[in-house]
Amino acid sequence: METFIQQFINGLSLGSVYALIAVGYSLVYSVLLFSNFAHGGFLVIGGYICYFALRSGGMNIWVASFAALVGAGLSAIIVERLAYRPIRERTPVTLYMLIASMGMSIVIENLFVVTIGGRFRALPPVIPTNPVNFFGIATTSAFDILSLVTAVIFLVGLQLFLVKTKWGLAIRAASYNLKTAGLMGVNVNRLIAIVFFTAGLLAGVGGIFLSVRYTLYPQLGAITTKAFVAAVIGGLGSLPGAVIGSLILGLAEMMTAGFISSQFRDLVVFGILIITLIVRPTGLFGKSVGEKV
Amino acid sequence: MMEEKKPILSVKDLVVNYGAIQALKGVSLDVYPGEIVAVIGANGAGKSTMMNAIMGAVPRASGEILLDSKPLPSKSFQVVKEGISLSPEGRKVFAPLTVLENLDMGAFPISDRSAIEKQKEDVFELFPRLLERKDQYAGTLSGGEQQMLAIGRALMAKPRVLLLDEPSLGLAPIIINEIFKKLTEVNCQLGMTILIVEQNAKKALQLSHRAYVIQTGSILMEGRSADLLHDPEIEKAYLGGKK
Ligand SMILES: Nc1ncnc2c1ncn2[C@@H]1O[C@H](COP(=O)(O)OP(=O)(O)OP(=O)(O)O)[C@@H](O)[C@H]1O
Ligand SMILES: [Mg+2]
Repeated sequence: METFIQQFINGLSLGSVYALIAVGYSLVYSVLLFSNFAHGGFLVIGGYICYFALRSGGMNIWVASFAALVGAGLSAIIVERLAYRPIRERTPVTLYMLIASMGMSIVIENLFVVTIGGRFRALPPVIPTNPVNFFGIATTSAFDILSLVTAVIFLVGLQLFLVKTKWGLAIRAASYNLKTAGLMGVNVNRLIAIVFFTAGLLAGVGGIFLSVRYTLYPQLGAITTKAFVAAVIGGLGSLPGAVIGSLILGLAEMMTAGFISSQFRDLVVFGILIITLIVRPTGLFGKSVGEKV
Repeated sequence: MMEEKKPILSVKDLVVNYGAIQALKGVSLDVYPGEIVAVIGANGAGKSTMMNAIMGAVPRASGEILLDSKPLPSKSFQVVKEGISLSPEGRKVFAPLTVLENLDMGAFPISDRSAIEKQKEDVFELFPRLLERKDQYAGTLSGGEQQMLAIGRALMAKPRVLLLDEPSLGLAPIIINEIFKKLTEVNCQLGMTILIVEQNAKKALQLSHRAYVIQTGSILMEGRSADLLHDPEIEKAYLGGKK
């Protein structure tokens, strides 16, 4: 029972970090209808900005995190501006953007390999990781609780932004029909920039926590595969779906690690994906059956 | 009398290409303040293309579009700001948003909250059915209600010229009559200038003051709607022969 509760909390914590990544990825998908494979790059950029701000800049964790989030958001805008806008202004075929995003993913990864090397780096111990007794029923780490709470704060913030603000409304309209949103007087390029900034920023939050969990290296972005899987399980383009799918994955991974073996984690993840695609091809919250790459 | 005024919206020699296909081959038309102008034509004549070109939603190859004798900007969001709104073909309401949220989207360029609320009241006064359904998702509205919403949404931006692309599409005759009566109201009471394109030539000619006939990307004929309504050529080609 104690293992169960412990792994439950750890699972929620991991799942909520996946959710931060999956939600941004889903948001981009819902507006531009392509899978942005460079999404993991934003996470790595956020991680490295935080790392260098702490190590070389000597900043405190708040300033370093702030810089990491803004930096990740801006890098997402730049990637969109350089690689996707020229394509979407020429053709409505979104497959080209998907291919470009694979290219950008490789570019970002290798920029880090070439400039600062591929070695694993640990963030200075600024985020507490000490064990915490959870109401006397289980032991977990302060890190897990902190990342869970942080993820929830950012997800609630995103929800408030989408529901309460004018640009949030425009994003919801655009994720139904971007062209018609443009006819309403929305500057579509600005809307897309806001979407990418938001997605990059959320990935940056995930990047900081994942750097602490797994250390930081240029290929850390590959973990986004899990978030993609979560988004597909939840239903591509659906934000609640992305969150639920992420929590399911996080829990499944931690339960597998706790009760079976850590080595089976990925097996279980892709098992869930395959079963979902067979039983409900549109995912838990998905509506339309379109091309989902 | 109308000809003495300057046109509020003026399209001059507009050419639009889709790849190798020339959809508009030099279309010119004028809309004067307070008028309802109809453009009638068959499937594929280029009506929607013209509307989308005015809105900046499709690029124009050549030609000019003037609002108050000044060139209209080329980006959609700037066109809306300048005072032109479109109720698009097929209504295109935002299905997962509520009626109120759809109207808020229509008012996107307006930042003054109280002006938006005032505008909403006007739209609800025009279409009381929308008020009854204000918290309903647009996707669950009937076709006629969705058309009312699309028109109301376009009115939210307080346009100087309202563009309507086939508001009768797919609707029962009784609903079409209801909606066209409202359009007359919008024109008479609010003094709204309207440019409407329609396949339903008879309704469009009855509604409008002047009309243009468009065929495969060119203007074939223009005149007072009352005259066109009794023109034997038009009757044969667009009004289904003698009635
Ligand atoms: N996106 C597009 N790409 C290529 N050709 C197009 C495109 N949109 C329209 N066309 C072509 O341009 C021509 C004019 O189309 P348009 O939609 O403007 O006609 P319309 O008069 O609005 O017809 P309808 O009454 O059926 O709505 C047609 O031949 C159509 O096939
Ligand atoms: Mg049309």
